[in-house]
Amino acid sequence: MARLLQALFGRTPLGWLQLAHHPLRFSMAITGVAFAVLMVFMQLGFMNMLFDTTVMFHRQLKADIVLVDPAARSLIDLRTFPRRRFIQAMGVEGIADGETMHIGQLTWIKPGTEGHGKGERGIITAFGIRTDHETFVTPGVSAEQGILSITGTALFDTGSRGDFRAFIEAIQAGQRPQTEVAGKTVTFEGVFRIGASFGSEGSIIVSDQTFLALSPKASPGLPNLGVLRVKTGADPTEVAHRVRAAVAGADVKVLTLEEFITESRNFLVKESPIAYIFTFGVIMGLVVGIVIVIQILSTDVQDHMPEYATFKALGFTNRSLLGIVYEQAAILTIAGFVPGLLVSLGLYELVRTGVSMPITMPPDRVLMVFAMTATMCVLAGTIAMRRLSRADPAEVF
Amino acid sequence: MGIAIPGDVSRKEVGMRSTLPAIVIRNLSHGFGEGESHRQVLLDVNLTIWPGEVVFLMGPSGCGKTTLLTLVGALRALQQGEITVLGRSLIGGRESEQVLTRRQVGFIFQAHNLHRSLTALENVRMGLEAQGGALPPDADARCRAMLDTVGLADHMHKRQEHLSGGQRQRVAIARALVSRPPLVLADEPTAALDSTTGYEIIALMRQLAKERGLSILIVTHDSRILDLADRVIRMEDGRIFSDEIRRSVANTPEQ
Repeated sequence: MARLLQALFGRTPLGWLQLAHHPLRFSMAITGVAFAVLMVFMQLGFMNMLFDTTVMFHRQLKADIVLVDPAARSLIDLRTFPRRRFIQAMGVEGIADGETMHIGQLTWIKPGTEGHGKGERGIITAFGIRTDHETFVTPGVSAEQGILSITGTALFDTGSRGDFRAFIEAIQAGQRPQTEVAGKTVTFEGVFRIGASFGSEGSIIVSDQTFLALSPKASPGLPNLGVLRVKTGADPTEVAHRVRAAVAGADVKVLTLEEFITESRNFLVKESPIAYIFTFGVIMGLVVGIVIVIQILSTDVQDHMPEYATFKALGFTNRSLLGIVYEQAAILTIAGFVPGLLVSLGLYELVRTGVSMPITMPPDRVLMVFAMTATMCVLAGTIAMRRLSRADPAEVF
Repeated sequence: MGIAIPGDVSRKEVGMRSTLPAIVIRNLSHGFGEGESHRQVLLDVNLTIWPGEVVFLMGPSGCGKTTLLTLVGALRALQQGEITVLGRSLIGGRESEQVLTRRQVGFIFQAHNLHRSLTALENVRMGLEAQGGALPPDADARCRAMLDTVGLADHMHKRQEHLSGGQRQRVAIARALVSRPPLVLADEPTAALDSTTGYEIIALMRQLAKERGLSILIVTHDSRILDLADRVIRMEDGRIFSDEIRRSVANTPEQ
């Protein structure tokens, strides 16, 4: 390793040799940096997973424009708006077709738990759709939604959190398994996949009629979401302007699908404390890393003060000695980042399989965290080297 | 022999043929602390050392020997007076100029100050790397040859904990000389060594000095090695008390 670095730098790799000379301290430093990297990756992973799952449903909508209550905050808090606004919007030039949806959180008995007394209860998100309209782009829904016109039938989300393998296999085998939703028996006729989120353990798709039967408080005149599609060639933004003008009032908000996605994300990023909590976690990870690296590098500088002073007497400049500390910072960055990344990938996989959450490691995040780790180590090195510049060559004598 | 004269010795008196002195010190005074705690360490010191001279600087502890050495080595800023080292004035020298001077000087320390994480060979390489810029292509060969010269050909890859005191000091000598400096400053290089090893070390330094025509200024208390000096300068209370030419450099048998 020393020879490789010597060939690379064209000089003796003092930083590496000093670190390698104290294996215990070196491994502690690597562990510290790896831990910081792990913390940052997990916080960023969870935060982006939260953002992604928040708009996971939105991305499955076959829509160009949506109508929601002006106070709508998230999928599970969409509230309702008057259906007459949807009817008004349908008459606007450029609108091809559309439908309204009911969305709600319903209690259900998790399939496979009925043997334990009354069964384990949970909360599931129910989407009540018009069975004669294609509301979702989700594979499988349009092919199977026709059967939902029979009241009391549903499609099940295979990405729901929990062990539903036997239940899903039964649906796919055409056994039409049943469970209790909102106190009523529902028969499952097919499957689709959207996935669980922080706010929802999973979802089912039912007809609007079934939804109204399961949720007595819901009203046909007060849907949660209006879905509009524009005519071929029409600009959704321009049509949305016209719809806004047509349904002007304080009881409905008109958004293009992209605006709907952006607003839902922004609510989490800017108005909820969740983003702050995760950002705080990232900062804490970096602070922990900086403190550990400062401690390690400062101790190393302190230990080698007589040697550094000797080097200054020999003719080394402050700048060339600072290169040693930066070399150490670079080594710690790489040596700590790689295990931190590998452990993070392992934990991401655990989250994916353990709680059915779509946590991913995009390449830009890897690069960003590497840059953060390098900045962290260089910053720590810069602080540690303030002591180094005080090494007095005259004190060697 | 045995002539006691002030430190400002002429070229003719030491028998040197070179035109430029290695070290010229004029009216040098230096002190530490301020106010009531101020202590004057050097007082109006004048000294000239010529190329090829092996000069011993002796005197009781606290007389200013080491301070003089650090000033000549551009390790401290001058307060009063003037020093010219190898033709370069140290008056008002900026840090970058001090570094250039240090690169012309080989330093040997009492505690040898080898780097613990480095092998003997790597420590010697530091002497070349301290010169700045790219290393000469024959850098490793020079370091090996230097270690061979000081008798450590079989110990190149050992770290200091596996070397004896004498071997460590030989590595320090090799580190000081590998860049072929025209001037070597040594502070008590035999202090931690037994008398035989100490004598061998200084004899080796003297031999190398004569072979390479370099000047050596050694601060020492060790009277057992006096016969290896061309000149012995004695200091007391911050002043040069005597300057004894023991051997004319022009007539030394090694030349």
